[in-house]
Amino acid sequence: MIGSSQILAEQSYGRGLEGLVAGDTAISEIDGIAGRLLYRGYPIEDLVGRVSFEEVSYLVLFGEMPDANQLEDWSAELLRWRHPPRTALDALQRVPENAHPLAQFRTMMTVAACLIPEPENTELDAQWRRPARILSWTAALAACAIRHLEGAEPLPPRDDLGYAANFLYQATGRTPSADEAAAFEASLVVQAEHGLHAAAFAALVVISTDADLGSAVLAGMGALSGARHGGANQLAFEMLEQLDGPDEARAWARDALARGHRFPGFGHRVYKCPDPRVRALEPYAAALLEVNGNKRLWRTYLALREEIEGTLGAKGIFANVDSITGLIYHPIGLPVSAFPIPFCLAIQTGWMAHCLEYLPDGKVIAPGSVYIDSESRA
Amino acid sequence: MSSGFDWRAAKIDWPVTTDVGPGLAGVVAAETRVMWLDPSSGQLAYRGVPVDSLANRADFEEVAHLLIAGKGPGGDSQGLASFRRQVRSSRGLPPDVVELIRALDPDTHPTRMLRAGVSAVGCHELTVDDDLSGDRQWRELRVVGQTAALVSAICRHRAGREPRDPEPGCSLAEGVLASLNDRPPTADEVRALDLLWVLYAAHGLDPPTFTSMIVASCLADPYYNIVAGLSALRGPKTGGAAETVLDQLLPLRDPMEAEAWVAQTLADGGVIAGFGHHAYRMPDPRVVVLRKEVASMARTHGRPELFEVARTVEVAATGALAPRGIYINVNFYGALLFHLLGADPPLVPCLVAVGRMAGSAALVREALDGIRLYRPLSRYVGPAERRLSGEGTS
Repeated sequence: MIGSSQILAEQSYGRGLEGLVAGDTAISEIDGIAGRLLYRGYPIEDLVGRVSFEEVSYLVLFGEMPDANQLEDWSAELLRWRHPPRTALDALQRVPENAHPLAQFRTMMTVAACLIPEPENTELDAQWRRPARILSWTAALAACAIRHLEGAEPLPPRDDLGYAANFLYQATGRTPSADEAAAFEASLVVQAEHGLHAAAFAALVVISTDADLGSAVLAGMGALSGARHGGANQLAFEMLEQLDGPDEARAWARDALARGHRFPGFGHRVYKCPDPRVRALEPYAAALLEVNGNKRLWRTYLALREEIEGTLGAKGIFANVDSITGLIYHPIGLPVSAFPIPFCLAIQTGWMAHCLEYLPDGKVIAPGSVYIDSESRA
Repeated sequence: MSSGFDWRAAKIDWPVTTDVGPGLAGVVAAETRVMWLDPSSGQLAYRGVPVDSLANRADFEEVAHLLIAGKGPGGDSQGLASFRRQVRSSRGLPPDVVELIRALDPDTHPTRMLRAGVSAVGCHELTVDDDLSGDRQWRELRVVGQTAALVSAICRHRAGREPRDPEPGCSLAEGVLASLNDRPPTADEVRALDLLWVLYAAHGLDPPTFTSMIVASCLADPYYNIVAGLSALRGPKTGGAAETVLDQLLPLRDPMEAEAWVAQTLADGGVIAGFGHHAYRMPDPRVVVLRKEVASMARTHGRPELFEVARTVEVAATGALAPRGIYINVNFYGALLFHLLGADPPLVPCLVAVGRMAGSAALVREALDGIRLYRPLSRYVGPAERRLSGEGTS
C-alpha cells in the first residue's frame, strides 16, 4: 500500500525524510504523543504475556489473530523450516573468527539465499509462501552464529519448544527457564513490528523492484545492524555496564547531560513520550535480574533512566526499547555483540508484512536528489 | 514534480516542500555533488562532467576516480596512477572467499553468489573491533576492485574453470573479460566494457543505491550497504531488467519474427524489457552511444542479425510505446553489448554491479558526512482498536 496510496499531495519534510508520510498501512499504528503501539488494532500491552511469538507473527503478517487450526498450521510451517541448508552453516568455517558476529550471520544468510529454490519466482503467491522459511532459517542461523562465538558447534532444534524457547536453547545450549522463555517471548512480541523505521523502509525499497522476500529481509538486516539502529541496544547496554551502581549512574548522567552528551537507547524519531515497549518489558527485566542476583544492574538502569528523562523528558527524549532489551538478553546469557540479532528475528516479521502489503500494486521506490552546485543561484 | 522546485541549487534549506508521487517520485531524499541527472533533458553528469564527454574518452578506472575522489580526468595524474594501482591490487581475494563461492552450485544466480562473496569479503576486511564511524575511503576504493575480482571468480566457476588471478597490472575491464572468455581480450572489447561501466556508474537514487544509502544512514558496516544494494539490484524492475532484455531478444531469429513478437507482446498486455523508466519521459540519452557500439560489435563478432533484431524491436516498440510516454532505456542496448562481450543473460546484472559500485560508493560516502537516519511515516488505515477476548489464547 505504501507509496501507491493517494497521498499525492504536497508535503513538507526534513532530512532523512523526517515527517514525510510515505503512504498507508494497515499493519501497525504508532502514536508518538500518547505512547501507544497497536498491531492490526491490538495494543501491545494487551498482547504481551498473553500470546506467543507464533501468534503475533501470524497477526502481523496475515492481519488477524489465528484460530486454533490456523495456529497449528502456522506453527507446523515454522517448525518445518528449522533446518537451514548445511552449506549455510558451513560458511562459518570460511570466515575469520574475529569478524563481527553480524557479518558472520550475514554471510550465512547470503549463502542460504543461494540455496532458496525457485529463485526467479517473485509472483505474489510465491512471496506469500516465504515468511515461515525466513523466520525459522534466520533463527537457526543466528543461534549458530552465537554458538560459534563460544567456539561451540550448532545444536539441532528441539521440536517440543516454541520459536522463542527453541532459539534460546539453540543459541545458549541450555533449556531456558520458564521466566527466561517468557521474558524473551515478550521481547519478540513487542518488537515484531514498528512501522517504516529505516530497516523496514530499506526492505520496502528492495521489494519495490520485484525482488524476492529474502532479499528484502537481508537489506532490512543491513540497516538494523547499524550502530544507530539495531546496534543501539548493544551500545545502550555497554553504557550501562560501565556504571558501578545507581549513585555513579546519577552522577555520570548529570555530568554527561551538562556536556550535551547523546545517550544510546534514549530518544526516538517517532515517540516523544515514554516508549510503550519499555513499559511492557521492564517488569520482565526486573524479574530476571532479581532471580539472576543482579538487582544492582536493574537499579543502575532505573537511576540512569530517571536522571536522563528528568532532564531531557521535557524535550521529548525518553528511554526507547533499545535501553531495555539488553537487560533481558544479558541475564539469559546472550553475548553483547550479538544483541542486535534477537531484535532482527522479531522485527523481520514487520518488514515482511510491509513488503507483502506493498507488492500488489507498489511502484518502484526511487526518490530524487538535489544536485548541489555552488555556482547555482542561491 | 512540484512546480518551481529547483533540483539544482547552491544549498538546501530543510525542511523542503515538494509533491509526493507514487514510489516517492518527486521526494528529495539526498543532496549530492557526485552526480546530476537533469530531469528536463535526461542528461547525466558526474561531478559536473557530462557523461557524453566521458564516454569512450575516459576508462572506467578514471571515472571511478572522478566519482570517488572527485578529481577530473587529466586533472590529477599522480592521484589517478595511485588510484589505479590500489584499485587493481585490491583484487586479491582471500582463498576462503573463493572457496565459499566454489562450494555453491555453479548454476546459482550470479548476483546471489556475488552477494555472498561480498559478505564474506567483508568478514575479512573488518573485525568486530573496527570503528565503523572512521574514515572509509580505503574501503570504497577496495570494494570496486573486490567486486570486479568476485565477478571474475563467479564467471570462472560458472564455466567450470579453475580460479585464476588477473594478469598483474591489467585493468579491471581486462581482468573481468579474461575470466569471462578465458582468453586475453581485444582492445575493442576492453574499450566496450569500460564504456558500459562508465555509463552505468551512477544514475540517481535508483533502488540499489537508495537501499545502500538507507543502510549507511544507520551506520552499518559498509559491506552490509553493498549486500543490501545487491539485494535490490537483481529486482526485475531494476538491474534484473537487463537480464530480461536478453531473455526476450535472444530467441528472436530475424527482423520479421522480432516485429511479430513486439506486436504480439503488446497485444497481450506484456512488457518489452529495456523500455520505460520512472525518471524519464524521453529516450535515455545514453542509448545513442550504446546503439552505435552494439551495431559495430555485432558486425565484428559475426552476429549482425542480433543488431538487426534489436533495431527492429526498438523501432516497433518505440512506435507503439512513445505515444504513451514509454521510451527506450539504457538496459536495452546495454544488455546486448554485455552479451556480445561474452555474458550469458544471468551474468549481466553482476557485470552492471561492478560499474555501479563506483557511483554507489561515492554517493554513500558523501552522504555519510551529514546523513540522518531515513525514517518516513505511514498513515494507519487498518482496523480500529480491539482487544483479545477472554484470557488469551496461549
